[in-house]
Amino acid sequence: MKDLAVIENILRNRHHFFIEIRDGIGLQEKIRAMLISCIAFLALYGAVMGSTHSLWQTLSSAVKLPLLFLATLIVCTPTLYFFNVLFGSNQSMTQNVAVIITAITVTAVILLSFAPITMFFLLTTSHYQFFKLLNVAIFAIAGIAGVVFLSQGMRMVAASGNEGAGARRWLLYLWIIVYAFVGSQMAWTLRPFIGAPSMQFELFRQLGGNFYTNIFASIGEILGFVTVR
Amino acid sequence: MREKSSSPKSSTIDQILDLLLDALLERQAARQAQAEQPDTVPTPKPSVPPSPIEEATTGPLAASEAPVMEPTTEERQPPVKSARRSQKSQHRRPRPGEEGWTPPPKQPSIHLGRTMGRLLVILVALMALINIPLNRHGTSLARIMPDTAALVIRDGLVVKGSGPEIYALEDNRLRWISSLEAFEFFDYHWEQVHIVDDDFLDEFEMGPPIHVLLKCQGSPHIYALESSKKRWIKDIPTFVAEGYVWEDVKGVSCSYLRDLPDGPPIPDDAGPPPEP
Repeated sequence: MKDLAVIENILRNRHHFFIEIRDGIGLQEKIRAMLISCIAFLALYGAVMGSTHSLWQTLSSAVKLPLLFLATLIVCTPTLYFFNVLFGSNQSMTQNVAVIITAITVTAVILLSFAPITMFFLLTTSHYQFFKLLNVAIFAIAGIAGVVFLSQGMRMVAASGNEGAGARRWLLYLWIIVYAFVGSQMAWTLRPFIGAPSMQFELFRQLGGNFYTNIFASIGEILGFVTVR
Repeated sequence: MREKSSSPKSSTIDQILDLLLDALLERQAARQAQAEQPDTVPTPKPSVPPSPIEEATTGPLAASEAPVMEPTTEERQPPVKSARRSQKSQHRRPRPGEEGWTPPPKQPSIHLGRTMGRLLVILVALMALINIPLNRHGTSLARIMPDTAALVIRDGLVVKGSGPEIYALEDNRLRWISSLEAFEFFDYHWEQVHIVDDDFLDEFEMGPPIHVLLKCQGSPHIYALESSKKRWIKDIPTFVAEGYVWEDVKGVSCSYLRDLPDGPPIPDDAGPPPEP
């Protein structure tokens, strides 16, 4: 419960929080508290998503959703860090990780706040494609909020090194796009998170297709243009 | 040249500008007096940006390099737009992280951590509640809604129309599962079977049926089981031509095989089937 207090610091005193990261104050404690919070929130939201299919899917999604975010973090952080260093940043890797985990924590908090809504639709509709697109929309909203935080955090944490600040800002925007692509591909690799009603539980589904074509196909099916094959 | 063209109209404009400048100077003086008063609380300034003309008169840059406010000579007036733009960029409030920026004071705690903890507990309890099985089939509240979901059409999808036949989808073709034994042998489950409209079935072409092949130890013959009848497969070339594989052959007792009624052989002109 004590670790959850970090959420208040992030949401209400974000400037001070980022300044502390910039000054390297209590980095390890912050990272630990944020990791615990975001894993708990993401696991719970994952469980809500998987509940529509089966108990196994519930448990599987509860594990896979935090894994998705952490794996994406591990894959993408070195790129941001080394490019930042290349363009004159004097942040440490830990500071970079702390800022990115802050963004993930914000995303997780927003997802948790949407959990009752997701649960409501889970209990009142069983249209798989609708439920899938609803979750894509929720993840998009939560992701945008996280990215805004990341952008603010990076600007503040990098404030001490002004050399190449403009280049680093553009680099961050590009990195966010890369992060989104890696994240969506990671999600596609770790799917299913909801579990198609016509299929038995599977921990991982065979690869093939991609996230974007599937989303367009789902929209097409809801509008009655195509059937997802 | 401009001196020449000055008229009573232009002098009126000059007067208006003079009046405007006087008003601005008064406002500036009032603001400076206000600013000199000591601040008790270091709150950030209100977010309303000062007007460009005010900025021109108040800012240090305006004093040093902006002759904009000299009303006596019209020639000295710079274009308003460019002045506005340059002064806006030089006088905008510093953004977070920029030099000169000070963070707002820390907000007092509203015990958000405790609220988050409660929300977590409530959601976990709700999750457990909606996942508790309600009947002997293990259906929970989360999965109690009738299955009106769109089917994900893919290989292995098991469907049933209004008739008794059950089909499995393979390579975009429906393959009839020809017996209960075949259904069980190929590890299909009743929960997988989706009731669909006959129109849906009509969208697909039919593939070869899925048979379970039966053989007893004391006999070299192999039979395909179809609608509870055994169909003798004439020879190995026919077996291969029908697309069967040895993994599809299920060993049964010869008495069980003998008790099954004979169906037409494979191929149909193979002659009378031998006894197993």
